[in-house]
Amino acid sequence: MTAVLFILFAGLAIGCAISMVVQRNPLYSAISLIGVFISLACLYVMLAAPFIAAVQVIVYAGAIMVLVVFVIMLLNVEEEDRQPLRLRALVPIAVILAAIFFAETAFIIYFVQASPVSLSRNVSDVGLTSSIGGGLFTTYLLPFEITSILLLMAIVGAMTLARSGGLLPSRAAVVPGDQVFSKEMMDRREAGDLTPVVTHTTEEAAELLGARDERTK
Amino acid sequence: MDDLKHLGLVLIGIFVAFTVVMTMVAYTVLAERRVLGFIQGRLGPNRVGPGGFLQPLADLIKFIFKEDIVPDKSTRFVYFLAPLIATIAAIMVIVVYPFGPAVRIPFVTEPVQLVIARFDVALLYVLGVTSVGVYGIALAGWSSNNKYSLMGGLRSSAQMISYELALGLALIGVILQSGTLDLYSIVEQQAGHLGITGWNLICAQPLGFLIYLTAAIAETNRVPFDLPEAETELVAGFHTEYSAMKFALFFLAEYVNMFTVSMLATTLFLGGWAGPFVHQVPYLGIFYFFGKVILFLFFYIWLRGTLPRFRFDQLMSFGWKYLMPFALFNIVLTATLQWSGALDKLGNLLKTPAGWWG
Repeated sequence: MTAVLFILFAGLAIGCAISMVVQRNPLYSAISLIGVFISLACLYVMLAAPFIAAVQVIVYAGAIMVLVVFVIMLLNVEEEDRQPLRLRALVPIAVILAAIFFAETAFIIYFVQASPVSLSRNVSDVGLTSSIGGGLFTTYLLPFEITSILLLMAIVGAMTLARSGGLLPSRAAVVPGDQVFSKEMMDRREAGDLTPVVTHTTEEAAELLGARDERTK
Repeated sequence: MDDLKHLGLVLIGIFVAFTVVMTMVAYTVLAERRVLGFIQGRLGPNRVGPGGFLQPLADLIKFIFKEDIVPDKSTRFVYFLAPLIATIAAIMVIVVYPFGPAVRIPFVTEPVQLVIARFDVALLYVLGVTSVGVYGIALAGWSSNNKYSLMGGLRSSAQMISYELALGLALIGVILQSGTLDLYSIVEQQAGHLGITGWNLICAQPLGFLIYLTAAIAETNRVPFDLPEAETELVAGFHTEYSAMKFALFFLAEYVNMFTVSMLATTLFLGGWAGPFVHQVPYLGIFYFFGKVILFLFFYIWLRGTLPRFRFDQLMSFGWKYLMPFALFNIVLTATLQWSGALDKLGNLLKTPAGWWG
């Protein structure tokens, strides 16, 4: 029973992974990647790690891939054309790396079977939520906190990069009817000056930009 | 032999739960149309069968025989996949809910707990599968090759991702209080002596309940948060280009989602199958459970008949600026109360009849 399920989900994971690389439409690749994540989650469940499985689905399949799909949908990325292969020198390196990988796998399989280790204690509760929580908040508290600070820094960094056009002060809110420009846009001599200028009507904005039409007078 | 028996029970459980939930979902649609009719001073569909009782069947037949139109420039594969994802993700959640306490059923010697799959991370499973359901709507909007659909799909994905956070945070209060993610245990803890006083809604989670209720309405794209299909702006949103059975699948997914969200609210905050005399007559639990779910469904319908729709920026700022901070506050509050031992005292006071009367 377990073997059948393992082969099913492992096969699904590998199939989806191959499909992800081969597909030319980026959205199909993204969907295949979601398939990989979900099959991996099923494998985690079979390895008695339900918490990791659930988190895998929530974080990777549910959150990160939604962002990827979002980007693909918004940019409306076209199907990629097959480019002639550049960097041909990398092909033998790839073959060698793949060979090493297969050798490692064979090595692990061989030695695990050669020396069957009897598990010393009951491992069935290792993957449960309470034991993971206990570990995170006692033994591994410092790495856990450092990781959360790292994530916070990443969020702040992303915000800063996204708004690098000049962080508007909190008073310069964009409300319908009001428009906010930087001084640079009003006057070419003020190049680099991004302090905001708020205008309250479209006419006012047009006048400041020097784009006022004679007819509107 | 034991494994086989277990498998058989699970299969029967899935069959029964699926049938019951699907039937109730079909009649929720009818109830919605009738109740909305009464709210708006008209009758609603009452022609097919006595009191409109066969209307769901008529709707189904109509959906099957409608012409199935596929837009010429749609992305075929994704266009077919999207309604399947939405429906499957909606239905998959049903397996973790405890419909009743342990009851005796024929041909089985020991009492059987009325939950199909009881496992350690049931609550996380619900959140995970729900988050996968977003793809159904997002992909439907994209693959239709229609601007209204795309806008609807984007809106709904943004909305569901934003409110999922508040929803998840609202649940953490309950998890802190019960110390487990297993839904059956959470319900068991709420079944006090009287069956009512142990509910999490009463025991220190009223704020969490309100946040959950609001976020859940947004999660299921219902009024007043039904921006993805705001017909005044977006024709029909993400399912503009879907017809016949594919549209029916989205429709089904929406109502199943409504149902499962109500079941989760019942399980976590209203004590699931807990109620008076459940310890004496376990079968009462099933009626209590579905009774509470029906109350929630009625609340949904009532809201739809009462409230106007939010604007999209209002929706977003409400979710991020009000709901999220309140949910975080609820976590801090619950943790503080738990740490100081006040929650245990309150729970004991409420759960024991002696504390209740004297």
